Amino acid sequence: MLSQNVADRLRAIVGDKWFLDSSEDLATYSYDAFLPEFIPDAVLVPSSKEEIALILKLADEYRFPVIPRGAGTNISGNSVARKGGVILAFHRMNKIIAIEPENMCAVVQPGVVNADLQKKAAACGLMYPPDPGSMSVSTIGGNVALNAGGPRGVKYGAAKDYLLGIEAVVPSGEIIRVGGKVFKSASGYDLTRLLCGSEGTLCIFTEIIVKLVPLPAARATLQAAFADVEDAARTVSAIIGAGIVPTTLELMDRVVLDAISDYAGARFRSGTQAMLLIEVDGEEGSVGELGAKIEKFCMERGAVEIERATAPEEAEKLWAARRSAFGAVASIRPNCIVEDATVPVSMVPAMIKKIVSLAETYRLKIGVLAHAGDGNMHPLIMTDLRDRDEMTRIEAALNEMYEAALGMGGTISGEHGVGIAKDRFMTMEFSETTLGLMRGIKRVFDPNNILNPGSFL
Amino acid sequence: MPDPNIAEQFDQCIKCGLCMATCPVYKELLLEKYSPRGKVQLARYYTAGSFQLTDHTRDVFACCLLCGACSATCPSGVDLREIFLAMRESIASERGLAQPMKTVVDSLAAYRNIVGEDNLERAEWLEDLPGSQVSSCTGDRADIVYFVGCVASFFPMVQGIARNMVKILKSSSSRFAVLAGEEWCCGYPAAAAGAPDHLAELKAHNIARVRELGASTVVFSCPSCLKTWKEHYHTDLELLHSTQLIARLIEQGTLSLGHVEGTLTYHDPCDLGRQGGEYAAPRKIINSIPGVSFVELNGTASQSICCGGGGNVETADPMLSRLIAEKKLAQIKDSGADVLVTSCQQCVRTIKGAARRTGDPVHVMDITDIVVKAVDASERKIKQGGPSTAASGRPAR
Repeated sequence: MLSQNVADRLRAIVGDKWFLDSSEDLATYSYDAFLPEFIPDAVLVPSSKEEIALILKLADEYRFPVIPRGAGTNISGNSVARKGGVILAFHRMNKIIAIEPENMCAVVQPGVVNADLQKKAAACGLMYPPDPGSMSVSTIGGNVALNAGGPRGVKYGAAKDYLLGIEAVVPSGEIIRVGGKVFKSASGYDLTRLLCGSEGTLCIFTEIIVKLVPLPAARATLQAAFADVEDAARTVSAIIGAGIVPTTLELMDRVVLDAISDYAGARFRSGTQAMLLIEVDGEEGSVGELGAKIEKFCMERGAVEIERATAPEEAEKLWAARRSAFGAVASIRPNCIVEDATVPVSMVPAMIKKIVSLAETYRLKIGVLAHAGDGNMHPLIMTDLRDRDEMTRIEAALNEMYEAALGMGGTISGEHGVGIAKDRFMTMEFSETTLGLMRGIKRVFDPNNILNPGSFL
Repeated sequence: MPDPNIAEQFDQCIKCGLCMATCPVYKELLLEKYSPRGKVQLARYYTAGSFQLTDHTRDVFACCLLCGACSATCPSGVDLREIFLAMRESIASERGLAQPMKTVVDSLAAYRNIVGEDNLERAEWLEDLPGSQVSSCTGDRADIVYFVGCVASFFPMVQGIARNMVKILKSSSSRFAVLAGEEWCCGYPAAAAGAPDHLAELKAHNIARVRELGASTVVFSCPSCLKTWKEHYHTDLELLHSTQLIARLIEQGTLSLGHVEGTLTYHDPCDLGRQGGEYAAPRKIINSIPGVSFVELNGTASQSICCGGGGNVETADPMLSRLIAEKKLAQIKDSGADVLVTSCQQCVRTIKGAARRTGDPVHVMDITDIVVKAVDASERKIKQGGPSTAASGRPAR
């Protein structure tokens, strides 16, 4: 609960119109795309870094939590007021300040929608590579806070690889600038990249400088069907192992394909146990060659059918099926838990095998979706939160799954973030010493733990 | 309380937020409560009993174009639009209708139209027709009834659509009629406001008048009237949109289309396109007109963006409607077309109104406007004695 005094002072900072405490506002800022929901004490929609500085100063003084929220599409529970406090929304800080082709960068406010930046960059012949599934709604601020990736991550990496600089407000109310429009710097600790993936726990971004790359001239998309999921998994490892770097390399297993069929009416060749969706980009000539090379790879490793898109509309069709996967799977049972275990690419076959066996052992319905090219698994667990017994079995399965992934040299989260979704697994991945270092960093930035308290640490 | 089927929809919603990318209202109003996902959540909480409706909830749900873009985008198959209509109903029954919507809906009961005028004024637009045309549509037997709708009947900017329809129907071999002062509002504003009970009287009357004439087909120039009849009237009468009828007439060779110069683009009205599934007929018509150069909008057919005229928003929040219309103008400008054609009088009014206010030079036409222009061009050519450049290859009747 905010005291009247604090509420009044917050109102004075952002103006009455942007201090939201109606029941409709509190209800609609109580959730993100993860499961638990918490009603905040208020929602603030500031317009400038100066307002944010005043807000944080007040929060630090009166010790109330501040939770920054982009579009609230994260699936790690990072944008909810789990310990009360105020939600900080960036709807009004949504300007693309500049796109600078000569510096191959863009300067944006945190509320800029990823897809909008993509559009403006494309008009200049440029591309911002991170393409999370949520890109039509998610914001750059959120993407950077979660180190978002996406299917293009195989070739291009994630937000961290395209982050040049950040301006932010720290909990004391001071404003810091780290990085800049330079591609490299050897001065001081790399706070820029530390902040990337910090899940709103260290400071509040007010301006972000991102790196752009040239928009590829051509793309080729192909879809390969396999009668055996292991064949598909081994093909993934083989492609990457041969030094071929497609732009995207997605894998869907039979469970996922069935869901898509039922949902979208797409027809897949009978006997297909797994599908790879592969895209390559580059110059006109090389794209064709690369596509042919990959096609050969797939055929040599057991692909039973290959479909190649020769026009953008055909590529769209192939992608539409992939994009509908999550929604299709999630509509089968009341809830869908998406996990994010990521392993070295050579371990993809083993990890998939492990997931499938866990589904059997614990009697769970799991579909395997994966950004297979970078080892990022997305087991989709179809369930019903009300089924206590199943929840217990899922917990046991997850424990085993993460142990396996970590044992293979992987990580508990490839791109979704930890938040309150996977915080209980942090001790599996990191030693007490490492966690101690992380907590120390948090303390230095935020001694009074006002920013997104309860998230991952 | 929303019915259990609606409640089932909530289970499907995974709060992914993808619906928010396609909502024109959310783009203007920014806050989560105005987004499709936000409204689904409010509906969920209300149904679960953890949220009390307020007058502000009514305002929030009033800021929805009912365009259905969210339903079309949802990867989980949630029919958000149905949820929003169900919520409007619950809100209306619990808290009543807000002004000025209440006045409009009351007007349907008292005057049988949305403008609160004597319903006989519906026949006003007929008076500008040549006598021969008037007499051909006011007999007491007909195969086709042309249901004009309140907007084209009462709003001068779009009365031309009704006159065009009469001219087009006259060229067909069917006997047609308009109900004139006996036409009652289809009931759309009441249905959309969450007060569907108001429809009972209206639909009984309208169907009876059509039956009296012996007609088996009703044709509409308003996609929303058509949708209302389809959804609420439960009749076995054939219900057609003007574009479907015109496309038929072109196919039969009944309409002879002459040369019209211009670069055209087409706006798919929400209730005809995404909600009605009709994308082909208007395009067939446009592509049948010689001389026309057609470009699609970036965001077309099922991806069409609402003009801002839908869902009673013009009544509930005219400023919001205007802002959305201005975005539509920008989209039209991007296409490079100098003429915008659409097939809904409400879209015409909304887009033309915005263009006039901003000084945008785009020429806004209803599809019947361009068809009549092409027909006139063909007739002129024939009168001049030259060979007709008509697409049908046959002289106009």
